[in-house]
Amino acid sequence: MQRTAVRAVPAPSPRWTVRTASAVGLAAVVVAALAVGSVAITPGEVVGAIARGLQGRLDGAMDVIVWQVRVPRVLLAAATGAALALAGTAYQAVFRNPLADPYLLGAASGAGFGAALALVHGATWAWLGLLGVGGAAFLVAVTTVVVVVLLARRRGRLPIVSLILAGVVLGSSLSAATSFVMLADRERTAGVLAWLLGSFAFAGWRDVAILAACLVPAVPAALAARRAFDLLLVGETSARQLGLPVERFKWTVVLGATLLTAAAVSVAGVIGFVGLIVPHAVRLAVGPEHRELVPLSVLWGAAFLVGADLVARTVLSPAELPVGIVTALVGGPFFLVLLRRGREAW
Amino acid sequence: MKHARDHRNPAAILVSRAVAPVAIVLAILAFGVAFAQGRVVDDLGREIVLDASPLRIVTMVPTHTETVCALGACDRLVGVDSFSNVPAEVSRLPDLGSAFDADLEALIALEPDLVLTDEYSGLAEALVPLGIPVYAGTPQTVAEVWSTTEALATLLGLESEAALLIGRAQGRVEALSASVAGLPAPRVFVELDATPYSVGPGSYLGELLTLARADNIVPGRLGDFPQVDPELVVAEDPQVMILLDAPFGESAETVAARPGWGSLSAVRDGAVIELDQASVDLLTRAGPRLPDALELLIELLREVRP
Repeated sequence: MQRTAVRAVPAPSPRWTVRTASAVGLAAVVVAALAVGSVAITPGEVVGAIARGLQGRLDGAMDVIVWQVRVPRVLLAAATGAALALAGTAYQAVFRNPLADPYLLGAASGAGFGAALALVHGATWAWLGLLGVGGAAFLVAVTTVVVVVLLARRRGRLPIVSLILAGVVLGSSLSAATSFVMLADRERTAGVLAWLLGSFAFAGWRDVAILAACLVPAVPAALAARRAFDLLLVGETSARQLGLPVERFKWTVVLGATLLTAAAVSVAGVIGFVGLIVPHAVRLAVGPEHRELVPLSVLWGAAFLVGADLVARTVLSPAELPVGIVTALVGGPFFLVLLRRGREAW
Repeated sequence: MKHARDHRNPAAILVSRAVAPVAIVLAILAFGVAFAQGRVVDDLGREIVLDASPLRIVTMVPTHTETVCALGACDRLVGVDSFSNVPAEVSRLPDLGSAFDADLEALIALEPDLVLTDEYSGLAEALVPLGIPVYAGTPQTVAEVWSTTEALATLLGLESEAALLIGRAQGRVEALSASVAGLPAPRVFVELDATPYSVGPGSYLGELLTLARADNIVPGRLGDFPQVDPELVVAEDPQVMILLDAPFGESAETVAARPGWGSLSAVRDGAVIELDQASVDLLTRAGPRLPDALELLIELLREVRP
């Protein structure tokens, strides 16, 4: 780690090439995802429908398909990918652990438990019904991470090892509880399972708005903290000596990344792999500096999940694959190729 | 209107002038009654109000497909889910996936004026904001088969067809259960999968077992779809086993090979019934073929009834 941290900074010109290429790549994937669907709609009709959607006067079923189904679905996939990749980048920096992902502290298991409770008991427990599936998932996810942090705290400090252990153990317990809730009511098992696997199938504008509202402050905040993330790469002690208020910074990052993760999971379900491999892929491509890592993770995460969802909804049409299966099946080999070819980043 | 120049006889005039307003009032009353009866609330607690009788219906659950067709409105279907296969003619319709991963784009492109789906998949929440009327609910008991049929018939404007359908079906159910009244009730274990999951007496299939005069070994306190302890099965020693998981590879042999199950009465007496997929569909879809399902159960039990 120390060796990579003092590596010579790449020349500025390739940096802008990579940034531009990433932005163009994301735009291309988004356009492809908007153009392709189970119903054949010409690019001209898609553009027209989006124009009419922006003006709020939809005309006919095709407009509804494009503006109410396809556009929010693509945007939600992009926002979820960006949020998970950003949260993954933050977690990996704070934990200085290559296996850290946004679900490490139990956000996913907590969200799954909340969603399962709401799906199974939402009709009988009024407060759950009021929260809705997404609200219950968000609430239990955040609560889980807060409990993990409180359990791991030692004299005002957050030791990384106890944080990870508390997260893994509480997460396993909650997964078991989710299975119990799910299997206790067999009629609803399929619904809970579908939610747990993650899907953008029924994405709406409200979901897009919720996640966008979380991303808008999160991305600039992460960019502003890029120097602090870099300092952590050299170890907590050195970072402290270099003037970083390490404990306060860790609390802030864990809290922020958790809120972002919980928001993503509450609107899209538990989609694995994105938050783990996208930051690694970026790191393998451009190195560990967060000036590059943060913006590129956001762009690549968005592009990766839009692409994965495009695959998920087209290969078996009219049936759909859970998008989490695609991220693992397609993303895994892609990442291994990068790993073999790429530079040593950790 | 000059009455003096009206050449119809006075009685006819009287009738036309008196009857017209009365007829209008009656029509309004009848419409009001129909409207009041037409109040349909689905399993999500939402009231479904339609502007007109639906002519482009999408069904995302096989039982709804069967019900719509049993009401004689098969020709109003424009799309169905992947599992709908009864009656055979619906397989010609566009396949929209399952309710849990429905192809929303294709569904909307069909421009349905009513979508009939389940209450669990979230499809209703996705479609209602788009202005598509959705009924979200599935029958889970025998009584709900009748009430759901009535609800769908009301939405489709086929109340009298529903009354006929339900009356005929209930008559057959009564006759069928009368035919087995007084017969000895065999102890039966129904297996949904090899975990093993079974059905409690409160479930739809559990109710059918009772009507068919079978003694379900699964006690009601375990719930409607319990995963049962294999020891319970051994202790209760069923005389008949009905394998709904036979299409997934379970058989008399695999059951006999399970620890401790080889000596069960059903296994020793060759009373392990392996159902084909069509029979599984018939028994598990709570819908208009309920009497056929009951008849199948009675037939299966007749061969093995002690």
